[in-house]
Amino acid sequence: MARIGEAAAPVAARDALARARLRASLVPDLLVEARRVVNTVIAGWHGRRKRGIGENFWQFRPYVEGETMSRIDWRRSARDDHIYVRDKEWEAAHTVWLWADPSPSMLYKSQTATVSKESRALVLTLALAELLSRSGERIAWPGLTDPFTARNGAERLASHLIHAGELPARPELLPLRRFSDIVVVSDFLDPVDETQAWLDPLARRGVRAHLIEISDPAEETFPYTGRTEFSDPETGQKLTAGRAELLSEDYRRLYTARRQSLAAWCGKLGWSYTVNHTDRLASEALVKVHMAMTADVGYGTR
Amino acid sequence: MGWLPLSFGFPAILVGLLALPVIWWLLRLTPPKPQTETFPPLRILAHVVRKEETPHQSPWWLTLLRLLMAALIIFALAEPVFNAREATPASGSATAIVIDNGWASANDWEVRVATAERLIADANDAGQPVVLAFTAERANEEIGPFDAATARERLNAAEPRPVPTDRQAIYARVAQALESMPGASVAVLSDGLAAEGDETAFTTLLGNGASRLVWVTPGDLAMVGIADSENLAEAFTFTAIRPDTDALPRQAVAAAFDDRGRRIAEANLTFSAGETEAEGRFAVPFELRNDFVSIAVDGENQAASVRLLDENSRRRRVGLISQSEADAAQPLLSPLYYIRRALEPFSDLVEASSTDLAEAIPQILEQRPAMIVMADVGTLPDTARERLVEWMNQGGTLVRFAGSRMAAAGDDEELLPVRLRTGERALGGALSWTEPQPVTEFPASGPFADLAPPSEVTVSRQVLAEPTSDIVERTWANLADGTPLVTGARRGDGTLVLFHVTPEATWSSLPISGSFVEMLRRIVQLSRNQGRIDAAGDGSAGALAPYRMIAADGQLVPPGPEARPLAQGATPAVEIENPPGFYGTEEGVVAHNLLQPDATFTPIAQPQTTLPVTRAAYAFDEAVDLKGPLIAAAIALMVLDTLAVLWMGGAFARRPARKAAPSAAAGALVVALAGGLALLHASPVWAQDIQPGDEEAIAAISQTRIAYVVTGNGSIDSVSRAGLQGLSRYLIDKTALEPGDPAGVDIETDELAFYPLIYWPIDEAATMPSEAALARVDAYMREGGTVLFDTRDQYSTGFDAGSTSPSTRRLRDILASMNVPPLEPVPQDHVLTKTFFIMPDFPGRFSGSPLWVEASMDAANPDNRPVRTGDGVTPIMITANDFAGAWAIDASGAPMLPTVPSDPMQRIYAYRAGVNIMMYMLTGNYKSDQVHVPILLERLGQ
Repeated sequence: MARIGEAAAPVAARDALARARLRASLVPDLLVEARRVVNTVIAGWHGRRKRGIGENFWQFRPYVEGETMSRIDWRRSARDDHIYVRDKEWEAAHTVWLWADPSPSMLYKSQTATVSKESRALVLTLALAELLSRSGERIAWPGLTDPFTARNGAERLASHLIHAGELPARPELLPLRRFSDIVVVSDFLDPVDETQAWLDPLARRGVRAHLIEISDPAEETFPYTGRTEFSDPETGQKLTAGRAELLSEDYRRLYTARRQSLAAWCGKLGWSYTVNHTDRLASEALVKVHMAMTADVGYGTR
Repeated sequence: MGWLPLSFGFPAILVGLLALPVIWWLLRLTPPKPQTETFPPLRILAHVVRKEETPHQSPWWLTLLRLLMAALIIFALAEPVFNAREATPASGSATAIVIDNGWASANDWEVRVATAERLIADANDAGQPVVLAFTAERANEEIGPFDAATARERLNAAEPRPVPTDRQAIYARVAQALESMPGASVAVLSDGLAAEGDETAFTTLLGNGASRLVWVTPGDLAMVGIADSENLAEAFTFTAIRPDTDALPRQAVAAAFDDRGRRIAEANLTFSAGETEAEGRFAVPFELRNDFVSIAVDGENQAASVRLLDENSRRRRVGLISQSEADAAQPLLSPLYYIRRALEPFSDLVEASSTDLAEAIPQILEQRPAMIVMADVGTLPDTARERLVEWMNQGGTLVRFAGSRMAAAGDDEELLPVRLRTGERALGGALSWTEPQPVTEFPASGPFADLAPPSEVTVSRQVLAEPTSDIVERTWANLADGTPLVTGARRGDGTLVLFHVTPEATWSSLPISGSFVEMLRRIVQLSRNQGRIDAAGDGSAGALAPYRMIAADGQLVPPGPEARPLAQGATPAVEIENPPGFYGTEEGVVAHNLLQPDATFTPIAQPQTTLPVTRAAYAFDEAVDLKGPLIAAAIALMVLDTLAVLWMGGAFARRPARKAAPSAAAGALVVALAGGLALLHASPVWAQDIQPGDEEAIAAISQTRIAYVVTGNGSIDSVSRAGLQGLSRYLIDKTALEPGDPAGVDIETDELAFYPLIYWPIDEAATMPSEAALARVDAYMREGGTVLFDTRDQYSTGFDAGSTSPSTRRLRDILASMNVPPLEPVPQDHVLTKTFFIMPDFPGRFSGSPLWVEASMDAANPDNRPVRTGDGVTPIMITANDFAGAWAIDASGAPMLPTVPSDPMQRIYAYRAGVNIMMYMLTGNYKSDQVHVPILLERLGQ
């Protein structure tokens, strides 16, 4: 009987370098795919949607005593008896860190999925890079690049990835500062407390994180029946289930419980948590993440 | 295995059971191979899997299943046998097996065969020859010694016989055979019933150096036999017997069957405790009892439980005696006429060939009738009288009718139940004031007590009984004034009945009433047949051929090869050559029954002997070889195991979803195939019914069509066709007849019978029709068809009388081979001239030629009526006028050919001639009746 899921690459599970090479070979295609996805999602620059230092008009507001006279918009004030101040929309370059999980478990792809989890993760990362570069944000990959601004940010990120070689299993979170965003694309299959432990520095530092969970449908629905031996692609550990269909209910409960607790934790921190299944479109997640990033969550309002 | 009747062929193999724990250990270690799946969220799954208990081992029930399988195979290899048989110890140089295969062994013959087979097997094991004898076979049957295989064959070929055993003869033969083999063991497989001469037989058998006796008797004798039967007046009774060892109360059902084996009556048999005889009664109407052919006890499949009934147990024979000379010449005036009519339905009538009483009475008595009716017989000759009285005293029933002769003969103590006054009494009449007397209620003491009195019967003359003291009890029927009408008395075992009136309707109206039949019937029922007669009828001492035999299982079967004719005379014995059954022919049979009325069933006694005796009972060999079932069970378990492994591997859980589409497609395919098959199947059903030529036949008969003979000459055929078309159109215009399209027929092949008229233009150039074709035309003409020959040569014939045209010569040639009736030109009063139009002559394209028809020579017309009478339609018409030429029209309806001379009226006359001919063909001489209508109307005064 054909297996339900397989690792996307027929390489040794622990050969990270080979995986990196494979990833590098994937990146150009994924870059193209990412651009296509971006084009379906967004066309054009969106402001910060709050007043601040910028060039574009945001609003007229009544003049308050104490403000410099130079800010008065005389043209508007001449229309009636009140004095108005012209506010500009706040425009500030923003640093967004992007990170996709490079672990072997991300290579998994089941029969019902269209792409492996890693492909989807890279596509989302690159699409976000493209998207953010176009809007002038500074993007970076923790441990790989410093934040940079470029119109061709996605390409540059891709070239970094191609030459990166072996990537660490966890990102270096030290360079991240307050008011920056980080997009973490992973399957988050580790126990919740482990995940929370390595993400917790971000929360403490005031970094806003966007977690994108890439999930394979086979992982979620557990369609296995009969006597089945399961093997972990990361650790190589094996488990044999006598009648796998009996486990499915319990497993699904645990699986969704993990997701819910992570999502709840993110919600508490004001972070966003997005789930993208590999049998769905990447753009769905992209839209959601983009919306979350552009939404005014209000730092410190939590 | 003392506690279980189980033994093993190779007990050593059972040691293999010790290997079971090893197998168990191995099985525990080797779980079924799982599917392997990569699964990243394994750590989550690990939480769940930990709850499951035995991830790496086979489930305990699977292990148990496999252990059981292994154990079964080990047991099977050890060849276990259940209920193993114990061998009879063999001794001596031979084994003699003597089997009773008489009727009493039929019920459980298979058990006897099985028992004997075991004995043969034991003898075979001991290497002894077998002497095998059956006591109900012929005494000269071969008895061996045989080897075991032959003995077994003979045993299986033997079958129970419906006859008693003949132990003496057979045992003597066995003893003779054993003389050369001293020390033989003798096995007697008896049927449990004692027979005459048993002691002698056993002495002979065992006294000859036998070393051992194996005595096998059935455990209990439970047979029921029917020993006797009797057809009494009110019921049919029979006597059933059973062996005296069967002492418990017992119920049985017996049934009576008619000659087709239908069950027509049932009776219960009740044996009281300790009684060996029981009586059953079929209380059914007399007529039904006459149909009894056999009675049998239900559930007894042996010959003794069946009793056959022949004529002697059934219809009463009634002798008729009359002195009247009128019997033969005027049967309706015979005094016996009403008696005969009354008795015929339910009794056999016997009449003497002579009217001389001295001859007639002995003749009738030879037939041993149950009853003799004497109609107005006066005095009897002394010899005849003595025999008659003797017969009556032995149980005969004599019925006498009064009459003038008897009245004149006076009193007769012996042959009259009451004393009679001389002369007769007349009631009513010119010289009497008395009125004819009706009949009153029948006396309650008489046999007619329950009959309805014949109120409509009146008696005008009778003979009178002297009033005596016992007159009342002897009176069976009274007149209203109290004088006896029927009297009766017992005489010895017999009955004497006197009707005080004549058996014809002169003295009374009794013989023509229904009560007469009822009364005679009642008397017949009281009578008993006196002895049996020969079924052969001629009374010779010849033998009767076997007709239907009782088989050993009690069924009636055709006689087998051993049955010999039954010798007449003293009671013949029931033996293998005369098995019980019917002997005779279809006309008359004699029943030859197995049991005599005095038969009893006595259990056989074990013979007194000094030899060692092994007693045994009949039993089947119940040894069962368990190897096969065990291996089958192991295979079944193996299948179960396979299914379980597949199920654990998830083979069944995933299949439905993935196979749904193919199975749906397969279902559609099956439906399509079934539909296709149904269509394929449907078409041959239609094809069965169609014969070649059906369509043509249906077209030919669905309309009236005029036919013409296709000559092969195109111009003639087209003119014929056009002519008949023109005639058809004219017929449609003028008459109610609407003929269909003309039909061209080939007289060689086409069916002619569909057409009323065939127009045949003679073409001298065409080839002469074959003999067969002419024969067909001849047959057509004989069966009612008409052929109109047209030579079309009116003006081409020479003027002198002797000259003939080629067409005429050809016509003569054609007619030479047919049965042509005498011909004549249509006479002026022929019906053909009046069928539709009044036509003096019949012109066509030419005119002047007469129309020749069959001469109606015997049809007279003396009264000068408008038409001559005569039956039938002429089968042939001959003309030279070329009718078709005159009738022919083209597509536009215009005439095709001119008439000669060119006269429009001649064409119209030609059409009218055609109409008359067609009407004549279709209505026949009906028109010759129609011409009388005016005269009939005139006579009716209209």
